[in-house]
Amino acid sequence: MALTESPELAPGANPRPPASPESHSTPLSERLTGFLTNQQTILLLVLIGMVVVFSILNPIFFSLDVFGNVLLDWGPVALIAVAETFVIISGGIDLSVGATLGFSGVIAAYAMQAMTAAGMGDSITILCGTLVAAATGMFVGFVNSLLINRLHLVPFIATLATLGAAGGMSIVLTGGAPVGDGPQSAIDLSVPWLGPLSWPLIVVIVVVIIAGLFLHKARFGRYTYAIGSNPFAALAAGINVKRHLTKIYVLSGLLSGLAGMFLYIRLGSGAPTSGVGDELDAIAAVVIGGVALAGGIGRMSGTVLGSLILATVTSGLIIIGVEPNWKQVVVAILIAAAVSLQALRANGKRS
Amino acid sequence: MTDTSAPLYEVRNISKSYGSVIALDNASLAVRAGEVVGLVGDNGAGKSTLVKALAGAHRPDSGQIFLDGIERHWASPHEALQAGVETLYQESSLAPHLSVSANVFLGREIVSPGLLGKLGFLAQKKMDAEAHADLERVGIAVPASNRPVSQLSGGQRQAVAIGRTVSWARKVIILDEPTNHLGARQSKEVLQVIRAAKAKGLGVIFISHTLPHILEVTDRIVVLRLGKIVKDAPTSDFDVDTLLGTITGLLV
Repeated sequence: MALTESPELAPGANPRPPASPESHSTPLSERLTGFLTNQQTILLLVLIGMVVVFSILNPIFFSLDVFGNVLLDWGPVALIAVAETFVIISGGIDLSVGATLGFSGVIAAYAMQAMTAAGMGDSITILCGTLVAAATGMFVGFVNSLLINRLHLVPFIATLATLGAAGGMSIVLTGGAPVGDGPQSAIDLSVPWLGPLSWPLIVVIVVVIIAGLFLHKARFGRYTYAIGSNPFAALAAGINVKRHLTKIYVLSGLLSGLAGMFLYIRLGSGAPTSGVGDELDAIAAVVIGGVALAGGIGRMSGTVLGSLILATVTSGLIIIGVEPNWKQVVVAILIAAAVSLQALRANGKRS
Repeated sequence: MTDTSAPLYEVRNISKSYGSVIALDNASLAVRAGEVVGLVGDNGAGKSTLVKALAGAHRPDSGQIFLDGIERHWASPHEALQAGVETLYQESSLAPHLSVSANVFLGREIVSPGLLGKLGFLAQKKMDAEAHADLERVGIAVPASNRPVSQLSGGQRQAVAIGRTVSWARKVIILDEPTNHLGARQSKEVLQVIRAAKAKGLGVIFISHTLPHILEVTDRIVVLRLGKIVKDAPTSDFDVDTLLGTITGLLV
């Protein structure tokens, strides 16, 4: 571990062989313990445990119908949790994802209402609605990036402002009522055809996989971690930090907009109250999944498992007949457990 | 090394003030290829301001910057980096959560061939291997280049930071307090790396409070006091006492 063994080492003449990467030399037993204490493994076991317990308490839980419903609940939260994963790893936070979800859904609903009234076909209308929702979300994300980069607001305050603005505008525009009269067949898209999966869910899964690849395998993710880990180092390395943060917040808005469209398809209308408070679910999912609010740490697989656990708890408690508000308590315990686990692991590594 | 050769990197009559505080007052400094210039001065003498101007991080209020005899106006540290001027800052310039190789290649990642590369997908194995080789070439042995920097000791982190600076530098390296917080043996190794950089033909600007290190490794010493260059002379003109006297102003 010492810098070098011989102080008089001549440059370029290191006599020691390069140390091999850990994975080659680690014995199997150690790798097994490593696997079992791995946060992702624990999350997977928690998820499986929950499914088993809920299924024992009420066998109805273990069915394709229920899984399909759990996944439909999961879809929009997963999208904004993916958004939150990028934002939080970069050292920021996006409180506006829920409000952006609702706002995008409403704007897309107006666009689709107009297109339907003009006699356009359902497919093209839904496609255009998706684009409008995505563009609306990206716009909110761009406003966030302007507030952060140009006005130097901290992300918490910047996105708190857009949360209020987007949420307020949704109510003002609609008068509080859902915006319907869109394409009739939109709601049919939520019908599962591939096991418990419907078209919107397949899109979510593809988006999550692509996002995970960009986070872990591409330069985009590398810069995201670098900025969250040490913004000064990122800047000194020549990374255009402001431009990268703009991309991250616009991406966050884009994913929130898609989540808005997902809910439109599920409900058949754009409700201004959709997404209210969902930012807290997204942040909870991400934190349970092992992303550190201080930035620089986290994995996409953790976010996927964290959001699945959240969706499972929500439906499971209802199905076993527990008062649904217990969900908040269960989520609180999960967050505390996940974060203390991280702290324990960090301490273990240090000693 | 010979004083007759043209300077590789030079600042002329640089001034910079923050409000009413004059941080730098007509400061000039030059470094030749294969030369190590020591920059010393008490706290608040303007060293950091000068380093930031040299690194392209701050734009001076007045004065000129020349690299290879061509005048430059750095708009960002990135421009200076691209032109071959590498800076190791006093603040940690490593991202602790990233691996050694990710830090070595930060901002200059190698991407996969073909379409994936166009999308920014990284050639991680290649970077791991090359980072290891690059660090060894400048005389730094680090256990495994895929290990997160947060798991390294303070000395090892500094070694990685210096190794990255030296292995990327094409013309000039600026080292701001590189031996700070390092033990005796690790400091010695840093000085060895500086000698290697000099042998490579790089111009080195070495900022330090540890005067014996400055005297040991530099060819020339520039002394800053209250924003002004008060002395610019060959290292052989100084010993620890005269250097200290010049820095504090008790001896001129």
